Amino acid sequence: MSELQSSLLLKKQLAELNKNPVEGFSAGLIDDNDIFRWEVLIIGPPDTLYEGGFFKAHLYFPKEYPLRPPRMKFVTEIWHPNIEKNGDVCISILHEPGDDKWGYEKASERWLPVHTVETILISVISMLADPNDESPANVDAAKEWREAYPEFKRKVARCVRKSQEECS
Amino acid sequence: MGNCLKRSAADDISLLRGGNEPTRESSADPLGPPLYSEIIQPVFYPSPSVSRPASHLTEEEQVKIAKRIGLIQHLPIGSYDGCSKKSRECVICMVEFSVEEAVRYLPCMHIYHVSCIDDWLMRSLTCPSCMEPVDAALLTTYETT
Ligand SMILES: [Zn+2]
Ligand SMILES: [Zn+2]
Repeated sequence: MSELQSSLLLKKQLAELNKNPVEGFSAGLIDDNDIFRWEVLIIGPPDTLYEGGFFKAHLYFPKEYPLRPPRMKFVTEIWHPNIEKNGDVCISILHEPGDDKWGYEKASERWLPVHTVETILISVISMLADPNDESPANVDAAKEWREAYPEFKRKVARCVRKSQEECS
Repeated sequence: MGNCLKRSAADDISLLRGGNEPTRESSADPLGPPLYSEIIQPVFYPSPSVSRPASHLTEEEQVKIAKRIGLIQHLPIGSYDGCSKKSRECVICMVEFSVEEAVRYLPCMHIYHVSCIDDWLMRSLTCPSCMEPVDAALLTTYETT
């Protein structure tokens, strides 16, 4: 897979998303000249604590995409057990396949070269609705989610409000 | 705690640069001592996130990779016949197969461009479409024949 093929594949996905937008997010590039760095806006999924929020995130694709997964980072502040405090998204499908030191993840849950921006974002949106506290990236958020839910809710609500202000 | 794998710092730097990451060879100062051999070596992946040129592999890694290459080469290659029952595009690169193009058949009968799937199988021996482990399927075929 050459860098040219990788960029063609990403261009194809961008064109397709522009033509047929997918509910729940919009996608574009950070810089029009760099197909490997995307900016997406995720709409907080309805019937979740994140409803009403507009969360901006960046996707950084390696030159070996789709053999290797992109990194994803929220730019808008967000409080969630599977998102680090600095915004880095930690979900198993963005992990490269291989030796799993902890034995949590089946190969089927890891990165596969058939994943696209769309399938990644669908996973991220479902993660917002349904956190996985077995492998938290934000330990404090995970602890609150389990043991101090009202406080967790308050923090998420603050992020939602902030995201609305930033977006307006 | 947690299973979020940290990536190497080198990887982050290439991402920050945001683009044209120079190859090691070309980034070396042309006047300075060459850091790496001038000969372009094939790069291998002893484990998925570790890539190293052939001469930097341990003996154990060399054996592992040789086995893997042998296994991949056992997978049949055919030429795409345009049959409508088969998938029309390679789901890795999302490009349609053209008639007579070389495709590799996995034991699950999913097909891909040879170069697309071989690169992936060097990293993970699973079918990207159905996640069937390729090595397990091959081993059973050997046992039953
Ligand atoms: Zn292909
Ligand atoms: Zn398959």
